[in-house]
Amino acid sequence: MDRNALLKNKILVVGCGRFGASIASQYSLKGKNVMIVDNEASSFDKLSENFQGYKFVGDCTDISVLRKANIETAKEIIIATGSDNANILIAHMARKIFDVPEIYVRLDEPESETLLKGLKIKAIFPFELSYDEFERLGGNK
Amino acid sequence: MKIVVAGGTNAAEYIIKKFQNSTNELVIINNDRANAEQIARDNRIPVFYGDASRKYVLEAAHIEDFDVFISVSNKDEDNYVACLLAKKVFGVKKCICIVTNPNNVEIFKDLGIDSVISSTQLLIASITSETSLETLVKTMAFEDNKIVLTEVGIKANFEICHKRLFEIQFPKEGTISCIYRKPRVIIPNGQTMVLPKDKLFFVSSPADEQAIINFITRKAKE
Repeated sequence: MDRNALLKNKILVVGCGRFGASIASQYSLKGKNVMIVDNEASSFDKLSENFQGYKFVGDCTDISVLRKANIETAKEIIIATGSDNANILIAHMARKIFDVPEIYVRLDEPESETLLKGLKIKAIFPFELSYDEFERLGGNK
Repeated sequence: MKIVVAGGTNAAEYIIKKFQNSTNELVIINNDRANAEQIARDNRIPVFYGDASRKYVLEAAHIEDFDVFISVSNKDEDNYVACLLAKKVFGVKKCICIVTNPNNVEIFKDLGIDSVISSTQLLIASITSETSLETLVKTMAFEDNKIVLTEVGIKANFEICHKRLFEIQFPKEGTISCIYRKPRVIIPNGQTMVLPKDKLFFVSSPADEQAIINFITRKAKE
């Protein structure tokens, strides 16, 4: 195999919703090598105008799409599709099959974290974070 | 057996029909309300309305000591998560799911699902076995492809034809299990003679299968 192919230096963002799009845009702004994948080409409209990374249309619950998106050379993957189950499946593939060094997953349901335990996968819960912010702003006193 | 059937419409109903009897205990989980109600009306079995890939739904269904969890929704990732939860969190002994993407068969098995079934893969297997009728070889795999049972149709021009088994140096890597000679099944011994139109069945590992087929189908010297 080409030695460069094994060099893990890319950032892969899966799912171009608001969350995925803003992460990909921020990374791109910092000049990082970023690839974003979504199964709808129109989702890429959410990326910032200055986005310099790669865009790829495909369903990342399919391992062949992950391979085409160069997951083998990813040092970091941010998984943020709209489905917790899809995110868990992709995270498991990223850890157990490709062993991506850094894995972040967006989850709606706190309960969904059960299947991620012990896998060094970092979970982000937007709804809980929103609630924390709500309290910080003075809500629910 | 205690069986959970999660998701699905036609598939769920078909499984219920096949397994519903005095020796099996069935529980149904379905996240389509109309469908769940229909199943509850038609069958005298517990039906839980909800998404089987959510832990609290599985908790409500009390599946802890079940033997088999079958997930037949049309989304591969939902089946995956439901099966893993059933196995890892609730300790169900065996989990089985269907997948629409044939790529997922091997992946899901690697990731811990006991049995993964793809209709596309079955379709291709069936086509392959139909076409191999020409070469008269059929194969059936057991134990996740570690053991294969192979059927070979015998032709008059094969070297082993018209020989008794003790005269044949059959490869050590396989054993002849039986011979089907219409209309009966012969459990062979050394005196058994191989005849044209016999169907010879042998057991081997997949790695040795082809070499044994080659041995059986070797043509007699002119």
